[in-house]
Amino acid sequence: MLMHVIHMGHDVFKANDKLAEKNRKKLDKYQVFSVNVMGAIGSGKTTLIEEAIKHLKEKYKIAVIAGDVIAEMDASRFRKLGVPTIPVNTGKECHLDAKLIEKALDEIDLDNTDLLIIENVGNLICPVDFKLGEHLRVVIVSVTEGDDIILKHPMIFKTAELAIINKVDIAHAVDVNAEKMRDDILSLNHDVPVILTSKHDWESLETWISFIELGLKKIQNK
Amino acid sequence: MHEFSIACEIFEQVLSTATAHGASEVKHVTLQMGRLTHTNPEQLSFCFKVLAEGGIAENADFIVEMVPPSLECECGYTGTVDEKQIRESSELKSELLAYVAAMECPICGKQAHITGGRELIVKSIEIETEKED
Repeated sequence: MLMHVIHMGHDVFKANDKLAEKNRKKLDKYQVFSVNVMGAIGSGKTTLIEEAIKHLKEKYKIAVIAGDVIAEMDASRFRKLGVPTIPVNTGKECHLDAKLIEKALDEIDLDNTDLLIIENVGNLICPVDFKLGEHLRVVIVSVTEGDDIILKHPMIFKTAELAIINKVDIAHAVDVNAEKMRDDILSLNHDVPVILTSKHDWESLETWISFIELGLKKIQNK
Repeated sequence: MHEFSIACEIFEQVLSTATAHGASEVKHVTLQMGRLTHTNPEQLSFCFKVLAEGGIAENADFIVEMVPPSLECECGYTGTVDEKQIRESSELKSELLAYVAAMECPICGKQAHITGGRELIVKSIEIETEKED
C-alpha cells in the first residue's frame, strides 16, 4: 500500500466561467446581444421581459431562453408574443449555468437573432456564482420583497450591471420605501444604474427597454 | 440548494484523477471554499458522501478549508478580511457578505474590488495505490 497526495487545483466556478466565455464569444460572433435576467419568484421578470419583447420585436429579431424548475409555463407566455423560446428545465436546480446555456444556444438560429433574453431561475442566491456568457446582468427586485431584501442578498446586487426595483406603484401599500432600496443597492455597487419600474407606468418601462436597445446598438456597431 | 450539482462535478473530478493515478482508495479530498460563495460546506460534504457510496471514495475525509475575502482598490490598496477577524466579530460572522460587498478602500474611499473569497477549488486528494506507479 502506498499513499500519494495529488494536487488538483480544479476551480469549479472557474470551469463554469470558461464555458461562459465560450458562449460569449459565440454570441459576439453572431452579434447577438444577450441579457441575463435574475430576480426572485414574483419580482416581475417574466412581465418586464414581455414588455421589452412587445416593444422591440418589430425592430429586432428576439429569442428567449426561459429557465425554471418547470420552464414551459413562462416559455408559452413568450411564444404567444411570437418569439422563438427555448425552455430549459433545471429540474431540482436553482440556477442556470453556462453548460445549460451552451446546449440551448445550439437550438437557436443565431444568424437570425439580434437579442437573446435569458430568464434565470427565480431566486437571489444561486445564480450569483454562475456566469452564463451574457453581455448584461440584470437583477430585478420588487418592493413586495420588503426593503431589507437588498442587504440580505448583497452579492447579486454587487455583481449586477443593471438593477431594477419593480412594482413601485404599490410601495406605499406594502409599507416599503423604494428610495431606501435604491440607496442600499448603490451602497453595495456605486456605479450600477438603478431604475424604478411599474408595469402601469409606460415611461418607466421605456427606460428599461432603452437599456437593452443601447446594448443592441453597441454590439451591432462593433 | 445547488450543492448537489456542485458535489457531482467535484466527485467526477476526484474520481477521474484518482482512477488515472491507479487509486484503490481515496483517503482525503481537500477543498478550498471562498467565504463569499453561496455554498454550504456541510451540505456539500453530505452530497459528496451520498455520491461516493459504494465506490473508492466512500470513506474519504472531506476537508473544506475556508478562504477569507480579499480586496483590491485602484489606488493600489490590497487587504484581506482574515479568519481571526471573522471569528472574533459577531457582526462580521453574520453580516460578512454585506460587509464585504459594501466595503470601501480605507485609503482612498473608493469601492474596493473583490479579488478573493469567491472560489471553490478541489485542491488535492490523497489516495492509496496497490503498487507503485
